[in-house]
Amino acid sequence: MISVAPDMSNKTSSVIDLNNLRDEQIALRIKELDLYYAEKQALENITMNIPKGQVTAFIGPSGCGKSTLLRCINRMNDLVDTCRIEGEILLHNQNIYDKSVDVASLRRAVGMVFQRPNPFPKTIYENVVYGLRLQGIKDRRILDEVVERSLRNAALWNEVKDRLHDSALGLSGGQQQRLVIARAIAIEPEVLLLDEPTSALDPISTLTIEELITELKDKYTVVIVTHNMQQAARVSDQTAFMYMGQLIEHADTNTLFTTPKMKKTEDYITGRYG
Amino acid sequence: MSQISSNGLKTDSKRLFKDQFAKYGVMTGGVLVLCALLLIFFYLLYVVKPVFNAAHIEPRSSVSTMANKYVAVGIEEQTEIAFGLTDKGMVDFYNVKGSGTGKLITSVDANIDDNIIAFSSSAPHQGQYAYLNEHGEITVIKPSFRVAFPNDVRTLTPVITYPFGEQPTPALDLPAGEARNILSRGEKTNFAFATDENAIGIVYKTANDDVIFSRLESEEDMFTDELSWTSYQSDLNFVTGTIQQLLISPDASRLFVVTDKHIYVANSRDGEDVQLLYTVDVGRNAATITTAKLLAGANSLMVGYSDGYIGQWFETNSADGRAFIQSRHFQMAVDTEDKAVVAIYPEFYRRTFTAVTKSGEANIFHTTSEAELWQGQLVDQAILDFEFSPRSNAIVIYSAKGLSVFKIENEHPEVSWSGLWQEVWYEGYPEADYIWQSSSASDDFESKFSLVPISFGTLKAAMYAMMFAVPIGLAAAVYTAYFMAPSVRKIVKPTVEIMEALPTVILGFLAGLWLAPVIEEHLPGVVLLLILLPLSVFITAFIWHNLPTKVRNKVPAGWDSIILLPIVVIVGWTSFALSPLVELWLFNGNTRLFITNDLGITFDQRNSLIVGIAMGFAVIPTIFSIAEDAVFSVPKTLSSGSLALGATQWQTLVKVVLLTASPGIFSAVMMGLGRAVGETMIVLMATGNTPIMDWSIFEGMRTLSANIAVEMPESEVGSSHYRILFLAAFVLFIFTFFFNTIAEFVRQRLREKYSSL
Repeated sequence: MISVAPDMSNKTSSVIDLNNLRDEQIALRIKELDLYYAEKQALENITMNIPKGQVTAFIGPSGCGKSTLLRCINRMNDLVDTCRIEGEILLHNQNIYDKSVDVASLRRAVGMVFQRPNPFPKTIYENVVYGLRLQGIKDRRILDEVVERSLRNAALWNEVKDRLHDSALGLSGGQQQRLVIARAIAIEPEVLLLDEPTSALDPISTLTIEELITELKDKYTVVIVTHNMQQAARVSDQTAFMYMGQLIEHADTNTLFTTPKMKKTEDYITGRYG
Repeated sequence: MSQISSNGLKTDSKRLFKDQFAKYGVMTGGVLVLCALLLIFFYLLYVVKPVFNAAHIEPRSSVSTMANKYVAVGIEEQTEIAFGLTDKGMVDFYNVKGSGTGKLITSVDANIDDNIIAFSSSAPHQGQYAYLNEHGEITVIKPSFRVAFPNDVRTLTPVITYPFGEQPTPALDLPAGEARNILSRGEKTNFAFATDENAIGIVYKTANDDVIFSRLESEEDMFTDELSWTSYQSDLNFVTGTIQQLLISPDASRLFVVTDKHIYVANSRDGEDVQLLYTVDVGRNAATITTAKLLAGANSLMVGYSDGYIGQWFETNSADGRAFIQSRHFQMAVDTEDKAVVAIYPEFYRRTFTAVTKSGEANIFHTTSEAELWQGQLVDQAILDFEFSPRSNAIVIYSAKGLSVFKIENEHPEVSWSGLWQEVWYEGYPEADYIWQSSSASDDFESKFSLVPISFGTLKAAMYAMMFAVPIGLAAAVYTAYFMAPSVRKIVKPTVEIMEALPTVILGFLAGLWLAPVIEEHLPGVVLLLILLPLSVFITAFIWHNLPTKVRNKVPAGWDSIILLPIVVIVGWTSFALSPLVELWLFNGNTRLFITNDLGITFDQRNSLIVGIAMGFAVIPTIFSIAEDAVFSVPKTLSSGSLALGATQWQTLVKVVLLTASPGIFSAVMMGLGRAVGETMIVLMATGNTPIMDWSIFEGMRTLSANIAVEMPESEVGSSHYRILFLAAFVLFIFTFFFNTIAEFVRQRLREKYSSL
């Protein structure tokens, strides 16, 4: 049995009432989303609003669909042949699944960091400017500026500033993951999706990343998928608990971990299953 | 290795044995493979090495007590018996090998009229000698050796044979009186003869300096076996100056008159009308011509000068028609003051010759390789006569000391490292060139061993194959690994890989016998296909891309490439159907003739295009398979990472996937190249095997591998040709070794770079 005593001491943000959000407070609206892998339904009627400038965590047992939901937000599920999606996700009141939406532009607005660090086999510098180069930005000054700013924001600048032109593959796992975050924020997305960003890292790297996430929410709306409930409790403002492809409960983290409304949520956070 | 078992610290001996067995078994296997490779390497070198050995001469035996004085000497093929001919028509045979060395075996009298006024010897390989008596009658004799095996022991019995009968020929029209004495005894310069089946050609100088050519043709009576003679005669009145040497080619078709400053070359096929072909001024300031001799094969005339300079002259084509030119020269490397070349002695069949000075210094050269093979003094006397044995493994020298026989090891004088890789000026060629022509019908053929044209052919074939295979192989690999639906990929990949198992002999057979004629006949169609096919694929892709999603969704994702199949078939059919029209419209109805006549490009039916397609077909599976694996094994997280940053599929492919897969793609291309270089059957069957050096796509080539396959069965074991084929194999080995090493090296480097992925 895992005892869960979420540490809420570092919670600073004011609690937002999820049910009465003003339009400008909402980054993403997910409406009646169903997702099927071939015949199997993986997400069932998900409806939720993700508030702007906050960290929202998706938690739930393995296979509950939390990663799938995350990948819907920047349409990474498009890469899966058999995947079929019904429903809407609205970004700026536009359905991202509309035919007129350019997937590449969407992904520029909704950045993503994966479970395992995946730096490109290029230099640190080239990794950071990759997204900018894709947009055809060649001006050296702009690129240099972005590299420094992104690496500073990703808390990596001091460690790598002297070896920007060394291969990114020479960095440690934690540094690589921060580099990947720097790479994602270099193109200034509105939303940053983090798919279990620390699951492949050691505890100290995990701590650094967690601190980083807390800082990132000032600029970006962060959505994080995590297996680790303590992590969710530590870094997130809002938490959504998912189970068997359904959204069971979505509340501010404090509430969800202390006074969950649903039985399933309570079972999960007290470690009955997982 | 050892495991602690549950019942203590004892090692399970069975497990230990298996472990050790596996360890040493694997090690032995690896070492054996390495040994085999080294063995091949060293065996090739071992066979090739003698080609570069220097000539070596050592004395073998000598005969000091001579029964007579001789005007010419010789030695038979087994180098057991040497012989000398006197100016009276006696032939003395001496034993020069084994027991009884130095003994006179027998003296045979050729029964020639006593008053012999001239003597001459033929080209060495004819082995004939002619005596001219004071009546102007000629007797041709040939020392021969009858082989018998009494009691299973080989014995040689020397005899004299008469190729034109024992009776002398009818008298030549010699001038009367003193003038008749055309030759002082013992000299051979003013009388020369050559025989050709039933004719004798004779050229001689009279005492009044007239040069006369006579041609005697014999006809054998069917019943009495008697010879009836017809004679033709011409006065060569174009010759002026002091005559140094008269020479006739062995078939009596060419006359060479060498004076102290000029060479006159005449056509002597017609005995009554000798035509002067060339008069060449060969004066070199103060130096005068001292001797001249035809080399084996009678194409080259070696001209020796008073300063030790020896020039090689032959007929060739030039801008102004046929010409008699000098190609190269040699310089006697002797220490003595008097470097004048007094005589030149050629070998029987090869282009090796010996030049000697008055004091007996000898220099052995080879023309083709331009090599000085040996230099020194064999006898400390003036050399009166010098002959190679028929197999060029012995020398007999006649001097005041008698007969001296030397053993000579000079197996491969025609091969030199520079000759193999640089331009060589061969006999009869207008200029130095890279030529591979290893054999011809005649024994005295000048072998042309340049590895450049066949190495060139290897690279050319590989290049055309790669031009065909690399774009298709890589594009297919990238598409299959990156875009294709997994279900289609599961079918496509093994199918292409099975292509690799197709025996190349079948590909070569199809290419040579089916594809080559088809392409020749439908050349405009093939060119049209090469243009239209990629174009139509792009157009189809574009149209498909812009079709409404509804239509596109009818084809499952990843299967969309299937819709290209009918397009390919239609475009292929259209191209070939349009072929005659295009031919009529652009190429006057016959492309082949148009290319040959109007464009002036040589067109071979089996050309580089065929090889490119056929060998490309063989190489595609190699490239495809390795490159596909490389692209497919790029971690999905990398491409997702790129896509998540707003890259399109194409940007991701170009900027991340191909970059990461580059070690594998590179080694795929190099493996393909290695295969193309070593490939034998396809190039053997689908090219004309012409060892030419031309990048033209319409001409064939000969590759190292095909050359070995074609010529190995017909090369004599141990000959220069045989050893050079081994050298070709060695070069091929180095080629593939080089490509594979580079591939492996670069792959290791790149892999190191991307190792932590």
